[in-house]
Amino acid sequence: MIKLIQNEWMKIFRRTGTYVMIGLLLFVLIVMGGFIKYQDSKGSVPDNSEWKKGLQVQNESYQKELTEMGDAIPPEVKLSYEREIAINEYRIENDLSPNEEYSVWGFLTDTSQMIEFAGLFTIIIAAGIVASEFNWGTIKLLLIRPIKRGKILAAKYLTVLLFGLFMLFILFAFSAILGMALFGFPNEAVPYLNYYDGSVTEQSMLLHLINYFGLKSINMIMLATMAFMISAAFRNSSLAIGLSLFLMFMGGQLTRLIAIKYEWAKYILFANTDLLQYFEGAPMVEGMTIGFSITMIIVYFLLFQAIAFYVFKKRDVAA
Amino acid sequence: MRGEKTMDTLVEIQNVTKTIKVRTIIDSLSFNVNKGEVFGFLGPNGAGKTTTIRMIVGLIGMTSGDIKILGHSIKTDFEQAIKHVGGIVENPEMYKFMSGYQNLVHFARMSQGVTKEKIAETVEFVGLTDRIHDKVKTYSLGMRQRLGLAQCLLHDPKILILDEPTNGLDPAGIREIRDHVRKLAKEKDMAVIVSSHLLSEMEMMCDRIGIIQQGKLIDVQLMTDFVQGNEKIYEIEVEGKEKAGRIVKEMYPDLRVQLTEIGVALPLKRENIPEVIKHLVNQDIHIFGVKEVTKTLEDRFLEVTSQKGELVHD
Repeated sequence: MIKLIQNEWMKIFRRTGTYVMIGLLLFVLIVMGGFIKYQDSKGSVPDNSEWKKGLQVQNESYQKELTEMGDAIPPEVKLSYEREIAINEYRIENDLSPNEEYSVWGFLTDTSQMIEFAGLFTIIIAAGIVASEFNWGTIKLLLIRPIKRGKILAAKYLTVLLFGLFMLFILFAFSAILGMALFGFPNEAVPYLNYYDGSVTEQSMLLHLINYFGLKSINMIMLATMAFMISAAFRNSSLAIGLSLFLMFMGGQLTRLIAIKYEWAKYILFANTDLLQYFEGAPMVEGMTIGFSITMIIVYFLLFQAIAFYVFKKRDVAA
Repeated sequence: MRGEKTMDTLVEIQNVTKTIKVRTIIDSLSFNVNKGEVFGFLGPNGAGKTTTIRMIVGLIGMTSGDIKILGHSIKTDFEQAIKHVGGIVENPEMYKFMSGYQNLVHFARMSQGVTKEKIAETVEFVGLTDRIHDKVKTYSLGMRQRLGLAQCLLHDPKILILDEPTNGLDPAGIREIRDHVRKLAKEKDMAVIVSSHLLSEMEMMCDRIGIIQQGKLIDVQLMTDFVQGNEKIYEIEVEGKEKAGRIVKEMYPDLRVQLTEIGVALPLKRENIPEVIKHLVNQDIHIFGVKEVTKTLEDRFLEVTSQKGELVHD
């Protein structure tokens, strides 16, 4: 199995396209870093003396809106207000200023948006990894080895996951290095304030970011799995890339639209891939729980894999 | 001639049928291939050669029947069966963005016990040592074919399967492949299955041929028997060929008498020649000469396919 993964890895990294993708990722991070640095040096240091008062004012206005709107307020907004209030109160009690200086942590939080970018490249790899063998005609040489088709496909899927991890690692590591070089390390460790189930807890920033990266990459893993499934079942990389990217950009929006009207939207994959909604916002459809979402993700995952393996194992390689 | 199973039998094709939707592509095909022989698979385009070859290597499933390689079924015991097989199916498509050597390393990793020395030895055998570290996209078709051959010899297979191995090659390339194939069969005692629609090439390469038409195996013969057949055609140069033709027809009503430019052509057995000549002379036909007309492989092939083809249609 390790040899098969080695093979797939070799086939990915012998192509120039892969280096272009990595280069693009690094380039975007550098541009982002430069841009933030430029803006940062021009902006004034926030006034730090009166922050407690500011937060109190903020909380009062939140509270006022909550009571004024009453039942008319959307649950999502209500939850985010409550969250803000709780965190602000916690800050005041524990003497934690929100006006910390922009540091490597801030930069890492900003660059985590780039996970979608890394996801896009993983989707491209996933979409090509089976379909390309058919296009190149090499599938005929690949499948007449003393290795079962299922094992070859499994090796390919694991390679996709590894590549995804590799891209995430590059993103995280390069952002960290770049962030430290440009913005430095904060003098004292700043904790992340986590609000879950009505209470606020302090969390180490590093742990929080790893968590954040992990949860955000679920969406990317599911889309890559889908692209892989289309690639294995339909032997068509363009279809796999096209459909997966379309759903990557539109899937969430479409689901949100459907969710306004129909409750069954909660069974759509994209209502469930964003597990952060349970920690930092409100679920897309009322009544959804994190357990439900995890179950749905597993069901979709197994479905994609079942289709991919079933079709790939049965397929007559005729072309 | 289909070949009973013997100790030397490496590949057994047992009553294999393939239907796609309602169309029968391959119809109860059976034959054996033995070690040390080159088995040619001959047939017109679309007869089912490639489909059969792909079924032997497990790329295409079969609807019924079984294929056994050294006694292991390709259906139920794929890994054990296929590990004795090396093959090129149609053109040897390789990863063009990698070097020839990297391609070989790639395939070597997929079989057990292929050492670096073995790779070097195989490269030497096919004569690619000078260019093996160049990218495949810079290779000529002949070099790609050599790399393809190297790829299927890495794991010392007992059976070699080549689908249209000389497609698109120049005469030198064709000869090279042919020499390799003969050498492997004779020296390494491999069983080689080659498919082609090029008769002359098959004639020089194969020991035995199977002819396939419309998915049916219509004949399996030793190459030597096939080319000669059991009867020959004799052309008798005469004056008044119509009359001569009629006389012969009276003697042998079943004989297919053909009129040629200079006389009559008769598919006769050797022992019947004196009798025919005697009869013709008695009837006042002037005979100027008798000569044996050797049938070309092409004649034989068309003959076999059209005869059996008629039978199939009846």
